[in-house]
Amino acid sequence: MNDLEDKMRDALRPVGPTDGFSDRVLARLASGTQRSTQEAQARPRFHRANSRWVSIALAASIVVAVLIGQQWRVQQQEEGLKARRQLIEALRVTSDKLDLAYQVVNDPSPSEAQHEPGV
Amino acid sequence: MKAEATDPLDEQLAKARSGDQRAFAALVRAHQRSVYSLALRMLTDPGAAEDLAQDVFLQLHRKLSMIESSAHLAFWLRKIATHRAIDRLRQQPAASVAALEEADLLGVHIEGDPLLQRQLRELILDLSPAARAVILLRFQEDLDPLDIARTLEMPINTVKSHLKRSLATLRDRVLNRDARSEGHLV
Amino acid sequence: MNLRIAPTLLLSLLLLSSAGAAESPALLRLPNFDSLTERASESVNITLDSTLLGLAARFLDAEDPEDAAAKDVIRGLTGIYVRSFTFEEDFAYPRTDIDTLRKQLSAPGWQRLVEVRSRKEQAHVDIYISILGEKANGLAIIASEPREFTIVNIVGSIDLEKLHKLEGQFGIPKLELEKD
Repeated sequence: MNDLEDKMRDALRPVGPTDGFSDRVLARLASGTQRSTQEAQARPRFHRANSRWVSIALAASIVVAVLIGQQWRVQQQEEGLKARRQLIEALRVTSDKLDLAYQVVNDPSPSEAQHEPGV
Repeated sequence: MKAEATDPLDEQLAKARSGDQRAFAALVRAHQRSVYSLALRMLTDPGAAEDLAQDVFLQLHRKLSMIESSAHLAFWLRKIATHRAIDRLRQQPAASVAALEEADLLGVHIEGDPLLQRQLRELILDLSPAARAVILLRFQEDLDPLDIARTLEMPINTVKSHLKRSLATLRDRVLNRDARSEGHLV
Repeated sequence: MNLRIAPTLLLSLLLLSSAGAAESPALLRLPNFDSLTERASESVNITLDSTLLGLAARFLDAEDPEDAAAKDVIRGLTGIYVRSFTFEEDFAYPRTDIDTLRKQLSAPGWQRLVEVRSRKEQAHVDIYISILGEKANGLAIIASEPREFTIVNIVGSIDLEKLHKLEGQFGIPKLELEKD
């Protein structure tokens, strides 16, 4: 039996991914901040048969709108991630204090834990 | 008093938490074999395994502030990798043995015993996602049943049951193979 | 009694509070703790109203067990408020701030669920629940230890059992309270 288990351990030794795996991970991390720019740039263009100046003004306003939208998304993401971090911390603190009460209540040494009637 | 040896990965972890990308890359390199292997042997598809492994490390990057130590890091990576793989397997049909015959997509290799190698591969593919994860954590990651139970958030008796059944199945297949071989020698 | 009975009481009181935290009697008026913040070596100050809770929930990863647990707990909540201070010396915080809070918690609607005192740890933990029309709509925890003072105020429908099950998540070691 041990011989079989040894063979299994030998057979299941970890195998690595192809070379450059960590570089690919870092590249994905970096592209995460650029993705919103690419999405914004992939929007359909408006086709207008107007004068050159109107076209330029329209193009400029689209660029401005895209940049504002991008900035808003980045800001939303930052605020959202911050809110999430705070939430996790708040729940950690809460659980920690509930556990403190639980430990005291379950401490086998003489305790002064008091309990409300009916609970 | 003995001085405790410090794990160099703890230092990399601290740096990575402060935003040091090189330190984060070092953490990736230290654990990529383990994570990728778990993904590969769970999903039986190198492309899917690479994607999943990358996702795990991207998630790690978001969660660095919660990782307390290098030991916690190893535990966390195994936990996330196996949970994600199990979830993905539940959404897609299992690969067939025939599809894997052309290449050793599980990265399973037993020197000098190709039949046992095939039987082990078949066994892994036959297992449910949870049982497969138990086997991999036991024999690839060398975890004891209690650590497997914590990683998979599974009762320890369930872990022991998966191990016992899987090994019994493999042993039976090996014994049957040996019995057939002996019959041919007569 | 242990904390496991309190959640049963809580779970038997059902209602998702529709009022925002701002209108809820379960929202405590927390004192200004600037003086404590100056004296503390570490402080945590978290204010999450319903808008921020909703925003945080959108960034929780459903595939991550920790995030999924958090999402489950905050369902039905309209506010979470935490003030926590750590000091370099024992009992460096004044009792007046704690007394001010306790006065609010003695108002009608608040009921003390648990009051624990540990001589060994010199820790006091009081857990209060706010009840409105036979429904639970809030929770308050005041925890004082020699070098740490913490207030938690949660507004909305809360499940203590789910909160307690957060042990093992967020880096808190699981308590080995039950032997196999």
